[in-house]
Amino acid sequence: MKLIKDKVAKLSFVALLVTMTAAIFYTPTASAHGEKSQAAFMRMRTIHWFDLNWSKEEVAINDTMSISGKFHVFAGWPETVDKPEVSFLNIGIPGPVFIRAGSWIGGQLVPRSVSLELGETYDFKVLLRARRPGEWHVHSMMNVEGGGPIIGPGKWVTITGSMGEFTNPLTTLTGQQIDLETYALDSIYFWHAVWYAIGVAWLLFWVKRPMFIPRHIAISSGKAASLISANDKKVGMAFALGTVIMLGVTMGTTNEKYPVTTPLQAGLMRGIKWIEMPATTVDVKVEDATYRVPGRAMQMTLTITNNGDSPIRLGEFNTASVRFLDADVLEDESGYPDDLLAEEGLTVSDNSPWAPGETRTVSVTASDAAWEVYRLADLIYDPDSRFAGLLFFFDEDGNRQMTMVDAPLIPSFI
Amino acid sequence: MAATTESVKADAAEAPLLNQKNLWLGLLLYLVFYSFIRWYEGVYAWSAGLDSFAPEFETYWMNMLYIELVAEVVLASALWGWLWKTRDRKVMSITPREELRRHFHHWVWLCMYGWAIYWGASYFTEQDGTWHQTIVRDTDFTPSHIIEFYLSYPIYIITGVSSFLYAKTRLPTYSEGLHLMYLVSVIGPFMILPNVGLNEWGHTFWFMEELFVAPLHYGFVFFGWAALAVMGVVNTEVMSIAKLIKKDLA
Amino acid sequence: MSASQSAVRSRAEAVKVSRTFDWMILFTLFFVILGGYHIHYMLTGGDWDFWADWKDRRLWVTVAPIVSITFPAAVQACLWWRYRLPVGATICVLGLLLGEWINRYMNFWGWTYFPVNFCFPSNLMPGAILLDTILLLGGSMTLTAVVGGLAWGLVFYPGNWPIIAPLHVPVEYNGMMFTLADLQGYHYVRTGTPEYIRMVEKGTLRTFGKDVAPVSAFFSGFVSIIIYFLWHFFGKWFAKTDFISDEDL
Repeated sequence: MKLIKDKVAKLSFVALLVTMTAAIFYTPTASAHGEKSQAAFMRMRTIHWFDLNWSKEEVAINDTMSISGKFHVFAGWPETVDKPEVSFLNIGIPGPVFIRAGSWIGGQLVPRSVSLELGETYDFKVLLRARRPGEWHVHSMMNVEGGGPIIGPGKWVTITGSMGEFTNPLTTLTGQQIDLETYALDSIYFWHAVWYAIGVAWLLFWVKRPMFIPRHIAISSGKAASLISANDKKVGMAFALGTVIMLGVTMGTTNEKYPVTTPLQAGLMRGIKWIEMPATTVDVKVEDATYRVPGRAMQMTLTITNNGDSPIRLGEFNTASVRFLDADVLEDESGYPDDLLAEEGLTVSDNSPWAPGETRTVSVTASDAAWEVYRLADLIYDPDSRFAGLLFFFDEDGNRQMTMVDAPLIPSFI
Repeated sequence: MAATTESVKADAAEAPLLNQKNLWLGLLLYLVFYSFIRWYEGVYAWSAGLDSFAPEFETYWMNMLYIELVAEVVLASALWGWLWKTRDRKVMSITPREELRRHFHHWVWLCMYGWAIYWGASYFTEQDGTWHQTIVRDTDFTPSHIIEFYLSYPIYIITGVSSFLYAKTRLPTYSEGLHLMYLVSVIGPFMILPNVGLNEWGHTFWFMEELFVAPLHYGFVFFGWAALAVMGVVNTEVMSIAKLIKKDLA
Repeated sequence: MSASQSAVRSRAEAVKVSRTFDWMILFTLFFVILGGYHIHYMLTGGDWDFWADWKDRRLWVTVAPIVSITFPAAVQACLWWRYRLPVGATICVLGLLLGEWINRYMNFWGWTYFPVNFCFPSNLMPGAILLDTILLLGGSMTLTAVVGGLAWGLVFYPGNWPIIAPLHVPVEYNGMMFTLADLQGYHYVRTGTPEYIRMVEKGTLRTFGKDVAPVSAFFSGFVSIIIYFLWHFFGKWFAKTDFISDEDL
């Protein structure tokens, strides 16, 4: 009977261990995202992302996809965020679900931080290689020192396959072919284990004898000297010398094995090329702007002058990555994320073409649930209640012009 | 634990000096509980913990926070209240053997304290560093904070204060006053919890990136040093126990 | 307390009691120190310790020993002067490394999937052995501070070099040169840690030739001496057994 009991106890213990191990390693893949809490003024007045393209919506492990487009560094940059003198083109994904295989601004590889100029527009591309299966929200993202992550729009991308299949092959400048995913892992474990074992051995040497109470009694009765024997000192000496010799030998063998090593590479990259945008021939003046809380709509009164030589119409208002379009003028064909696209969200009181030289004051309303969903409406609770965004005008041939608006916003609660 | 000298005498004949069951079950309890927590993090941090504005975040994480806060207040009041209410009013008249038994029991508490400190200060604190690499920190109450600050820290505080109360109410050694280092070792790590206030206040300036060595975090460091005061507790205990068994050990 | 009675019934029981307390004290000491040391270390030198692309020749080599000699010095002050146990530094480092390894494996890798070859901890063991053996052989705090503290700083880089050297092999990638460690930092996306946060060598002065690590290690050893003294006294203070009377509170 006792035997059975013991067996049951043993099996239960094993079962418990197995369950716990399984529990600890069980990590299913599913995700959401987390950008909505950023102060609305920060999303509206820092980096404006546009013309974005996610090359794929589903990608297999080891395959690549890219996110590319343009960003405009807003000239009316808020005081509370440090200027983007030290910025890093990051990617808003939940950790290394993709590896960043490459990232470019203006055609220049940007593995390091860069200096950006206010008021300029840059094109960018981030190349990603799928590593961990799941459905992930992939955002464009710019980190600004003293400002934090400034997140662009995100789109769901599905990675299929198994993480075990992921490899990261490279050839070093010394001609060695490696898989960075597992490279040097054995030696990392080995050296740590060796040194840990030496530490444990030293501890065991002392722990195997009575420790606290008897030694306290000996010391308090003046017999401290009896606690350390000549043999203890010999062993101590052996450990000390052994450590020094081992350090010397391992340093030497390592240098032999890796004769070519270089220091970590770092440094700010300046002189990043921006895009020469065509000169704007539209002049926009914001007469007033209000946000109507119950209607989830922003209404602006704009005085627009067309200084160009062809008629234009207002097609899009883009703020904080939400795009409000006038369906009569512009239709999105880029596959922009649905939740950030208000296809008929822009209403202009009179959107007949502005003839060359014409000035007209119109009322423009941008309305969509996105104001609430993306918490842009919280702008009215921000300590710097201004809004900003990009306006896109189109002529008959579809040529586009971009202008900025930046003005105070008055909330309306009725 | 017996509250009167009479019952103590009766117990003393039978009860073992160290109830090993308490020790192993206690250690197992923390291990199983924290394994469950780690499983919960593994599952729900990824599926519901990346966006603090999503409804599922409220379900799986904010509710977790509310439940743990209530449970901790209830547990702390019950445990500390019970330890105080059942205190031994005649602590100076217990037998040496009973005193030794209580020292053992006290060390069961201290082992739990060490174990709880490990989970709180080491496991869940460094874990926070890696979670904040994977998310955009959009709330004070990120999944790792809900576990680290509001679960694992209160648990070691509850354990530490319980240990202190046990010593103060049952052991003659601690009846002469308040043991300074014991206070430091319990209150210091406790102060890590209020220091969360400084941390979160600092993080409201902007969306800080995850730099662990930022000066904003030094409050935690300072209070972490208080863990060293456990050495004072060890020394006092060794002196007391040595007094009890010295002549037999010689 | 009745002094006439004995707490134990035989010498054998006394020995057993003493030995049982040894284990319980060691367990508690190990884990409390592990917790305190780990939180201290991760918040004063953690980022260098977390990531391979922070383990440079100058700042890592300087900062890690300076901030990590603290607890070993304090624990040595207690264990040596009160028990003549020269294991204070070793206990600290064994605890710290255990805590770190569990975390890097279970959480950095097991929860957020950073490869272990990118987030392994620094090796502090050689310094700990030297610190403990110097204390044993010299029996002097001053000697341990000066010789041990300096050694602590000096051996840090050699103790880690076999581990990190493979990651300092250069690679050409998209027209730029990286070390493999740099490339890890670039590839394995840390959403919360943009590149500019990284504090690594950017200096231009090469007074001592092309390698700054020995200079950094020497400087680190020098500061470690001072920190050792300071923390040894902290350790003595934390080891006190004083009571304050209830009325004082």
